[in-house]
Amino acid sequence: MNSSVKKEQKVVVEPSDQELLRRCRAGDLEAFQELVARYYQRVLMLVLGIVHHREDAMEIAQEVFYKAYSRMRQFRGGSTFYTWLYRIAVNQCIDFRRRRKREPAGLGEAVDEVLEYHAEHGSNPSDVIENAELMKRLFLALESLTPEHKAVIVLRAVEGLSYKEIGSIVGCSEGTVMSRLHYARKKLQEKLAPYL
Amino acid sequence: MTMDCERVIEALPAWLDGEVGAGESEAIRVHVESCPACRAARLRWERVDESVKAVLKARASGVSWPWFWSGVERRIREESHRPGRFWSWLRPGNFSRRLAWAVPLTVVCVLAILLAEQYFSRWWRGPNRGNLAAVESIDGHGFDLGLFREDETNTTLIWLFLDEEEDEPASEVPVADTTL
Repeated sequence: MNSSVKKEQKVVVEPSDQELLRRCRAGDLEAFQELVARYYQRVLMLVLGIVHHREDAMEIAQEVFYKAYSRMRQFRGGSTFYTWLYRIAVNQCIDFRRRRKREPAGLGEAVDEVLEYHAEHGSNPSDVIENAELMKRLFLALESLTPEHKAVIVLRAVEGLSYKEIGSIVGCSEGTVMSRLHYARKKLQEKLAPYL
Repeated sequence: MTMDCERVIEALPAWLDGEVGAGESEAIRVHVESCPACRAARLRWERVDESVKAVLKARASGVSWPWFWSGVERRIREESHRPGRFWSWLRPGNFSRRLAWAVPLTVVCVLAILLAEQYFSRWWRGPNRGNLAAVESIDGHGFDLGLFREDETNTTLIWLFLDEEEDEPASEVPVADTTL
């Protein structure tokens, strides 16, 4: 009896970025919404890595997607969509940092956010305390880097992009990416030494 | 291919990123597996990247999707209702932007008038022409453009100057004491 009842299986195929981009260009806002949903966390991570202050990072990340939408027709598909998006994000962050030099005032707030996240995800309390110290050090260490160095380390550590991809986003050669990455990691390693 | 610790530690970050050639990569792997110091160095490099990723992931995950999208959508909707660039340029409040255009535009216009006048005067005034002098105010921003042309020596003088007379109160001339 049971064997005669066939369960209906639905296979949901997600549209590719290219398909969504094609629909966006035709004025489909829902397709763009899907693209934003796909990438907003990753763009936010990148922006938070460079800007740190949460409210500023939100504003920048939203601006990045708005810019991507308004320049959609300029995207010819020579690179992947996310590479293009990250390029806009890095440029926005660098422009922002040049325009406004804010003190790393969001440090306490940033640590609280991460502790909250760990508490929600059931982390061990002693780990959480250790994490708090590590985070403070990490934020201060990141703050001591230039936006260009931060962009390189975040793109590598978070996204795992190749030197070539990072170079095309940041606008420099693979050799420069390598040396910036080496410098940034060395700095972070020095400042985080007791916790590593 | 055998490698010493110094070379391995130097190449470790690039090796972890997968940016080292196949031959060298294999030699580093063999060395790292057999050397405790290099293994510890590898863990330290890895922990730097892991810490950065973990912290940023935790911070970004606190942002709710509806809130984020509403901000993006608001920007898109505002842009679609915004008047064209030309009309926004004409709006009151864009004085500084207009001033940037007004000065060179007025200079070009005056030059054009001058050239045109010089060219066409032959047709309607004949060989005996008079001198020309003019002062033009630019867009009410206190700048004036002066023009003087003298026919005999064929000299043209154009100068741009700030008209401060409007703002300054008229200076009072002391009246002579006639009683003395």
